[in-house]
Amino acid sequence: MSVSQAYHILFTAGLVWFAILIAVMLIKAIIGPGVTDRILAINMIGTMVICCILILSVLLDENYLTDVALIYAMISYIAVLILATVYIPANPKRKRFGEDVKREVEEGRRYVKEQRAEIRRKMEEEGFKGSTPPDMDGKEL
Amino acid sequence: MLEWILFAVCALLLFAAMVSFTGAVIGAIRFGFVMNSMHAAGIGDTFGILCLVVCLILSIGPGLNMMKLLVILVFLWFNSPVSTHFLIQVEYFTNKELYRFSDRIAGSKTNETASGEEK
Amino acid sequence: MKERFFKWFYGESDPMEHILDCAEVPDESREEWKYEEHEIEREISRRVHTQSVIRAERRGFYAFYLIIAVISCLMLIGVLLFTVSQLPRYGVENPRAKEVIERYVEKGLEETGAVNIVSGMILDYRAFDTLGESHVLFTALLCVMILLRLDEKNKRTRYENYYTVLADPYYDISTDPIMRIAATITLPSIFLFGIYILLNGQISPGGGFSGGAVMGAALIIYAAAFGFTVTDRVFTYRMSRCITFLSLAFYSFAKGYVFFTGANGIPNGVPKGTPGAVLSGGLILPLDIAVGMVVACTMFGFYSLFRRGSIGGE
Repeated sequence: MSVSQAYHILFTAGLVWFAILIAVMLIKAIIGPGVTDRILAINMIGTMVICCILILSVLLDENYLTDVALIYAMISYIAVLILATVYIPANPKRKRFGEDVKREVEEGRRYVKEQRAEIRRKMEEEGFKGSTPPDMDGKEL
Repeated sequence: MLEWILFAVCALLLFAAMVSFTGAVIGAIRFGFVMNSMHAAGIGDTFGILCLVVCLILSIGPGLNMMKLLVILVFLWFNSPVSTHFLIQVEYFTNKELYRFSDRIAGSKTNETASGEEK
Repeated sequence: MKERFFKWFYGESDPMEHILDCAEVPDESREEWKYEEHEIEREISRRVHTQSVIRAERRGFYAFYLIIAVISCLMLIGVLLFTVSQLPRYGVENPRAKEVIERYVEKGLEETGAVNIVSGMILDYRAFDTLGESHVLFTALLCVMILLRLDEKNKRTRYENYYTVLADPYYDISTDPIMRIAATITLPSIFLFGIYILLNGQISPGGGFSGGAVMGAALIIYAAAFGFTVTDRVFTYRMSRCITFLSLAFYSFAKGYVFFTGANGIPNGVPKGTPGAVLSGGLILPLDIAVGMVVACTMFGFYSLFRRGSIGGE
């Protein structure tokens, strides 16, 4: 078996595996709940198609397929950019729920701080029993 | 003999690229949050494409096509982080239930979803 | 340093706390007030305006124009159908199956001078079809302009009560510094790549359409990254009109000259050059450039029209 035949088999196996990965990613693009899942899936499909084209350009010994791969990379990049410009301003109540979420997170943190202060206060009242070794009961280190 | 060594190195690099792309795809599917799956997709965009392009350069040899492959590599490395940056902004600005699990971590009752459900 | 790290680790400090502070929040109360005041006025003016427009549309010169347009369309359809019925049928006796293909494949290189036979076919043997395709692009841009362009009629009703993207820096992503840096570094290369594809139409796959698409994509990235105010200084409506018209006119006149001399048996003075060089293939290179210009202007025109309703910011 010559080296070129071995390369042929190797690259064909790589192509087949890439095709399987692209099909699996397509299922994710259909299922994924939400906009961002689908855009991410399309971006990954684009990257894997670029890899397929590069392998093909070596397999078939054609030089111009690398130009095609470069165009494809550019098209997928510009697609994600323009979709972002469409989706980011599209929610007219964006300011509202952004502000609401910030407020909720601050309230949650304040609640956690209060709980911790309360627990510490209770431990101070009871004299730190159980949180120190038995021969030092009630005394802090 | 030298050709077979080169072939072995190429096969190893291609196998590494396959493994990284498989990891990226599995990570993109299995994670529950989109931000984590974007982190997994970055593996394919950086390490997978590097291994693949180095394998192809070793099997082609020096010349004009090697420079074209390097141009593609640099272009992809430069533009994938920008795409990820904007995808995360899309996620932040369109997902109403982004903080729904910080409830369990902080142990508070105030982090309800925007529609008022309790978790 | 350790204290700062443990503060972040236990959740007491948030590094993303002040990330939205410098963005101006839109004034919501003022928007609602504008909506209430103009709502009734808008309804009244819209109804009156459309009634008067409808009444004016159905009399006078406009009615005559409609009738003539319908009649001329029907006549054109009849002429084309008659011509198509006179062509030879599908089958093995069709000259397209036997003679034409052999002639293109065997003598394509000598007669056109292009190594890429596909480019030689669409821009030398079948240049009339490519002319029609360029005109189709131009017509598509005109149709989209008719439907989406903002006039005085629909400017008030369409954009007044929504959060306009242009006037609101809170929502506009062209203020993002990452976008600007990425565009500054990659756009010159992308534009050069588009020009490279254009000039290589006769040597390797590429040509006018794909090169024009890449250049249009580069213009779109520029408009999305830096905003429309900067792009309007370069790419105005008048420039878009001039470029498309001059390209199509040059294409028509050049190919008309070649058809005229070819039909009458006179040799035309277009040099063929050596196949494989950039300056080869006769008229293929200038026609590629013309087609590429039309495609780039059309693509950017579509993006601009869909985004804000006008090409040059008028």
